[in-house]
Amino acid sequence: MESLHQLLTIAIWEIKRFQGSMTRDLLPIAAILFILLILVSGFTAQQGIHLQDGIYRIGVDSQKYFNIIGGDMRYQVYALPPDIQNIRTLGLDLAIRTESLLRTNDDKGSAAQKSFERDYQAYLDTLYRHQNDLYAAYPLWIDTESVVSELDFLATQSGRQLASPYQASNTLPVPENPEKDIVAPSGVDSYNMDDLRLQLEQEAARGEDQLGRYTDILQQQEALGELRVPSMLSPPLPFDTIIFIFIFIFPLYFTSQFFMMSIMNERTLRQGEALIASPVRPAIVVFGKMLPYALGMILIVTIILLMVGAGISAIFPLIPVILFFLSFALFIGMISRSYKELSFISIFFSTVATSYLFFPSIFANVHVVSLLSPVTLVIHVMDGTGYTLTDYVYSTSLFFLTSFILFGFCIRNFHEEQLFTEKGITETIALFLGTMVSTRYWFLSLVLITIMTIPFVFMAQMMYLVLFFNLPMPFSLILIMFLAALTEELAKSAGLIGLITHRYPALSWRIVLLSALLIALGFILGEKLLLFVTLSQISDSVFGAALFLSIGLLWIPFLLHAGTTLCSGIALKIGGRRFLPVGIMIATVIHCLYNMYLLQGWIW
Amino acid sequence: MVNHRLVTIIAKKELRGLSEEKTIILAILLQLFIAMFSSFLMVGLSAMYDPSMYGRISGVQYGIGYAGNDTLLLDLLARDPSLMVYQMDPGNAIGALKERKLAAVVWPSGTSPDAEEPVVVKLYTIKNDIQSTVIEVKVKDILLDYEGILRDIRRDRLDLQPITVTPSRPVAGSTFYEFIYGLLIPLLLFMPAIISAGLVIDLITEEFQQQTLDTLRSTPATLEEIVNGKILACIAIIPIQVVLWLFLLMLNGIRIASVIEILLHVVFASTALILIAATVAVHYQERTKAQFIFSTATIVVILLILALPSNPVNLIVLLAVGGAPVTHWAVMAASISACLILLIVIRNVIQKKEFA
Repeated sequence: MESLHQLLTIAIWEIKRFQGSMTRDLLPIAAILFILLILVSGFTAQQGIHLQDGIYRIGVDSQKYFNIIGGDMRYQVYALPPDIQNIRTLGLDLAIRTESLLRTNDDKGSAAQKSFERDYQAYLDTLYRHQNDLYAAYPLWIDTESVVSELDFLATQSGRQLASPYQASNTLPVPENPEKDIVAPSGVDSYNMDDLRLQLEQEAARGEDQLGRYTDILQQQEALGELRVPSMLSPPLPFDTIIFIFIFIFPLYFTSQFFMMSIMNERTLRQGEALIASPVRPAIVVFGKMLPYALGMILIVTIILLMVGAGISAIFPLIPVILFFLSFALFIGMISRSYKELSFISIFFSTVATSYLFFPSIFANVHVVSLLSPVTLVIHVMDGTGYTLTDYVYSTSLFFLTSFILFGFCIRNFHEEQLFTEKGITETIALFLGTMVSTRYWFLSLVLITIMTIPFVFMAQMMYLVLFFNLPMPFSLILIMFLAALTEELAKSAGLIGLITHRYPALSWRIVLLSALLIALGFILGEKLLLFVTLSQISDSVFGAALFLSIGLLWIPFLLHAGTTLCSGIALKIGGRRFLPVGIMIATVIHCLYNMYLLQGWIW
Repeated sequence: MVNHRLVTIIAKKELRGLSEEKTIILAILLQLFIAMFSSFLMVGLSAMYDPSMYGRISGVQYGIGYAGNDTLLLDLLARDPSLMVYQMDPGNAIGALKERKLAAVVWPSGTSPDAEEPVVVKLYTIKNDIQSTVIEVKVKDILLDYEGILRDIRRDRLDLQPITVTPSRPVAGSTFYEFIYGLLIPLLLFMPAIISAGLVIDLITEEFQQQTLDTLRSTPATLEEIVNGKILACIAIIPIQVVLWLFLLMLNGIRIASVIEILLHVVFASTALILIAATVAVHYQERTKAQFIFSTATIVVILLILALPSNPVNLIVLLAVGGAPVTHWAVMAASISACLILLIVIRNVIQKKEFA
């Protein structure tokens, strides 16, 4: 009760302080800028984005081709002199002569032809759409239906089918349960020709955005009628997702910036000294300061969700994302020495976090990797699919775990010595890790520190998976393997760094060996725990094997982890902290070699 | 009068601070990450949806169930070497699809090719499966062929005949030319500007908020010289990064035509952005406010600039591909005059603050 009271008091102070900082000179300008932003985006939407104007040069021998390329600003159009042989000498990329399209032989020529072909298709589509007899211009309509397979999800969702698709054989496949309830393709009685024409127009209008230009295979598609013409059949790529992510991330980023600055301001000029000296516990101070920002973020997100008309259940996947942003804001606010450091680290963090959130969700409805991002669940809520509790646990658990661990880590270090240190970032982090080591139970601390790093390691590894899984097969595996090994070795060195920063026990050879064993124990424990709880789906695929070593007997990975940690430990013992990177590199190489041995069947 | 020696001393001090804190490395890492991110997005996605990529997985045949009457479509499907077509009863076909014994089921209506009505084809695929994507891409091509044939049969019924343009030779696969030149290059070249603008805000507001300005002012340097020194430092790191980017791009075999002109355009446009940032920073003297106002203002300015024809970004794209109009010098002159105006503005703002 007492703590709750303190918490609220600090939250109210924080709000008052925030109000105080939003002075009279800020609000009017912010309002003006906001209005300007709306006006300018309207203007830009109307004018189009002039980024690639005049990038290609095309020569034509007749005015009639203006019908095709008329509106496309990417072309500079020239009149083609008669009887030319080489269009390159004229500095052209493309030419149309007597209804035949010529191009130069380089990349630019083929790019120009590609985009011309797209324009030509658009021209044909417009022409066909305006035919009186629509069914002569569009004689074929496709009715797509996706059926839910009753087979176990696991085999198909782990990325495995990319490498080995199911092979058709010469014998006629016979189902065990033939489908009974089927409807034969009907004619178009239920569709009116004008409705279909309207639908084609809408589709055409939608395809005219800037993003769709870059490649003809990426087209957005949604909310169409059930019938499509073949050219509209394209993989469902939710471009709206991209927009949504930015709509959600931008306010979250800014609000967490305010929180970050609030923490940073406590540190500049030692302003927070009074707060820390007060009998209030650090956790209360931190959460009290955080509360207004957390509530603000939830409010903003709710408003956005209501505005786009999504179900309110879409808010639950976003809560761990909010916590994630806030915990990192706290951490960054506590470790950076100067504003520029704060800016760079926070921008770097939000870029990485944004891509982590954004990249998987592109594959929503295509691949299970998409579920790594909570934003995918938001998309599922919006497109009406919804999500199950398993989905929720699967995609949010890492976010919850990392934020809780980071909060704990920062609160434990929310003390005078750590807050007002003038050291650099790596030194500060080492100092923080040193605080985590208990003098009496230092061995237990080593195990716990290592367990704590596991969710971060997993998150980094998921990031690699997401970034690289669609590279060609052996490369993706090797790259993921190397980065995964490096990350694991880095994480395992956290305990060692904590130990030497704490300075007790002194680093003797016996202690080095003992801590290597303890850290390996912690790592295996944490890995198994987390794998067990969440990620069985991914860990069962070949990528999972590359990442988590979960195959084989338990003592082999244990020895490996102990051995590689020992490498780092020996380097540390011999050369001090400066030699640690060398040790980590050696450890990584050993780790990779071991992984390659395990996975040789997949690579060679 | 501004003392240039003092300005350079302050600029050097800031540059030293940057290299000591290694923030510049973070900045470059950040840019690398963004470049990687956008390239992976394009290349990865295109590879994922590019049927020719999957076609290369040799020997794989996808089973397709075909239900309904014999039509030309059956022949077209059977002709594709990567598809194995089975003529089946619809119920059996869909049942087999659900048990993953087929990759897709095609079921056309019995409409005759020259009928009044269009032909309707039902295409069944498995939900939430990446292979459905591949199959859809494969079948799409065949359906497009079929559409062409049907359209040809019904040709006489068209009342508007299209102009024909036949490519003399086909283009292979997808090209990334437009993405690289039209998007990636401008993005990479203007990233240092955005970073420097954020940096100048931090450098200026920090002096105010950490109350270190008073110490600095006890030296012969005036506020204007201090601010100018910081601006100079932020401008100085731009050409380095831009040249680095251009070099890296060229190392990757991306030919860039007019490097010097591009560099000049980027530097002047970036200077304008940095001056705006510095003005906001001096006015607000507080990081959060200044960053907030500046980022919103930047979005407004960038959107506005992109909406104008012959904007500097467009010109950089044209300079990179080779073939910019000579008017680009006029646009550069406009950028320079914008910088000069902004210099006067910031001078006034500084003087107002200094005597307030």
